[in-house]
Amino acid sequence: MFVISMRAPEIAASVRAGQFVNLGWAPGPLLRRPFSVYRVAGEDVEIVLKAVGAGTAQLLAMEAGDRVSCLGPLGHGFALSPGPKTAVLVSGGLGVAPMPLAAAEARALGMHVTWVHGARSAEELCHESDGDEVVFATDDGSRGVRGTAVAAAPDADVVLACGPNRMLAAVSERWPDARVAVETYMGCGTGVCLGCAVPLSRGGYDRACKEGPVYRAADVDWRLLPSHLAYATSP
Amino acid sequence: MSVTIGASTLRGPVLAASGTFGYGTEVPLLERRALGGMVSKGIFLRPRAGTPPPRIAETPSGMLNAIGLQGPGVEALIRDYAPQWATWDFPVFVNINGESAAEYGELAARLDGVPGVAGFEINISCPNVEQGGLYFGNDPHAAAAVTEAVRRRTNLPVWVKLTPMVSDIGVIARAVESAGADALCAINTYVGMSIDLNTYRPRLSFRTGGLSGPAIRPLAVHLAHQAARAVRIPVVGVGGIARTEDALEFLVAGCTAVQVGTATFGNPRAIAEVHDGIAAFLDEKGFASLAELPRYLPRD
Repeated sequence: MFVISMRAPEIAASVRAGQFVNLGWAPGPLLRRPFSVYRVAGEDVEIVLKAVGAGTAQLLAMEAGDRVSCLGPLGHGFALSPGPKTAVLVSGGLGVAPMPLAAAEARALGMHVTWVHGARSAEELCHESDGDEVVFATDDGSRGVRGTAVAAAPDADVVLACGPNRMLAAVSERWPDARVAVETYMGCGTGVCLGCAVPLSRGGYDRACKEGPVYRAADVDWRLLPSHLAYATSP
Repeated sequence: MSVTIGASTLRGPVLAASGTFGYGTEVPLLERRALGGMVSKGIFLRPRAGTPPPRIAETPSGMLNAIGLQGPGVEALIRDYAPQWATWDFPVFVNINGESAAEYGELAARLDGVPGVAGFEINISCPNVEQGGLYFGNDPHAAAAVTEAVRRRTNLPVWVKLTPMVSDIGVIARAVESAGADALCAINTYVGMSIDLNTYRPRLSFRTGGLSGPAIRPLAVHLAHQAARAVRIPVVGVGGIARTEDALEFLVAGCTAVQVGTATFGNPRAIAEVHDGIAAFLDEKGFASLAELPRYLPRD
C-alpha cells in the first residue's frame, strides 16, 4: 500500500469521512480514478492505493511536485451524528481508506472507536489504530483472529464498513443498519454518466458518486453488485 | 462563433452530447458560457431502471458503456428539469427514445411546447436497449418512419442521431432528411465487447456496450463526412472529440457544429477548452467567422 499526499486546501478544509476525490492526470487514462480521502493534514489530503492497473502505476511513478487534477470532495460520506457511544470500523484490505477520517469524526463525537482490520494475510493487513481498540483478522490466521473481519468485529452502536463488496454483503447480513462505502466502476464522478450504478433493495439503481458511496447496508441489493472489480489496463 | 442549424441559432458550435451531461444540472463547475447547447440524457415515455452493473469499462483510448437508458420518464423530466432549462441562456435538446415509431411521436407531442425544450434529438442508435434503439437506425425505412412520426407532432427542430453500425450511412442520412429531419448528428457509439480474464465473462453485464472516446474519432470523422456529403441539412459531428483540433477536423469535414461527450468525464472543462480553442484558431488563421473556415466537402 502506498500513500499519495496532494496539496488541495479547499478539499482539505471541507472533506468529510467517506467522501472521495476523482483524480486525473496527463498523460493518463481517459477516465479519472476515484479514491476515498484517507487522511487530511493541514492543506494536504492523502489517498491510499495499490498498483492494480496502468493508471495506479502511473500515479505511483509520480514525483514530489508533480501535478494531478483533483476533483472533490465528491459523494456523501458516513455522516456521523452525536449520540452513539461506540463505533466499530470494519475494513477489508484497502477498505481502510475512509476509516482514519471516520475514526477522527467518531472520536470527536465522543464515541469509543474499535478498528477491525481484515486481510488475506498479515502482509496485506493495515495497522491504522487511531482509536481505542484494534482487532486484526486474517484469512490464513497469520495475524490476529483467523477468519473474516466481519466475524471478528464486536457489536457497536454504529458500524461503518468498507472493503470488497462481498464483505459488505456479510456486513449487511449481520448489521442491516451499518453504513458501508461501496466500490464501483466510475465514469465521471459527478453524476452524469450513470456508470457507477448501485442496485437498491427497493429496486432500481442510483449513483455511487452522488447518492453514495456510503449506503445503509441493507439498502443495497448485494446480489447485483459485483465484487472484486478488475480494472482496465488503459491507456 | 454562432452557428445556424435549421431554425436554431446557437451562440457557439460546441454542444454537450447526450448521456455525458445528464440533465445539465449535475455539474456546477462546468463553464457554461462556452455551451452552444446541450442534449439531455436519453428519455423514454416511462421510467427505466437501466442495466445492472458493471455498466462501464475503460478500453484503450475509449470506454464501453451499457447504461440501458436509465431515466425517470418524460413526466419527471418535464416536472424536474424543463423548468430549469427554461431559465438558461443556451438551448436544451431532448434526446428521445421509444420502442416503436408511435412512442417517439407521443414523446415529441408531450414535449412540444414545454418551456425549456428547444428541440429533439431522435435516438435511433442506442446499442444498449433490447427494444428499439439501434433497430430503427440501421434500416432506412424504420429510420424514416420514426423521423416522420416525430415530425408530424412538432414544429420544434428535429435532429436525428445516426448509428455508425451501418454499411452506408448516406442511405440512412438521406432517408431521414426526406422524412423531415432538420439536422443529423453523426455518430452514436460503436457496439463493442471486452472480456474479463478473471471471470472469463464479458466485462459489462449487458455483454456488449457502446464504444466512445478518442478510439472512435477517425471513424466518426469519416462517417460524419459521409453523412454531410449525402444530405443538404446540417450535420452535427460527434465521436471522440476531446481537444480543439478534434472538433476542427469535424468542422472542416463538413459539420456545422460538434458535440463533446466522453471527454467531459475526464475533463469537466473540455467543452470550454474546445470552444475557446476554436475561437483562437479562427483568430490565428485570420478568419472573421466560422463560416470562413475552409471545408472539405465534395458533394455526392
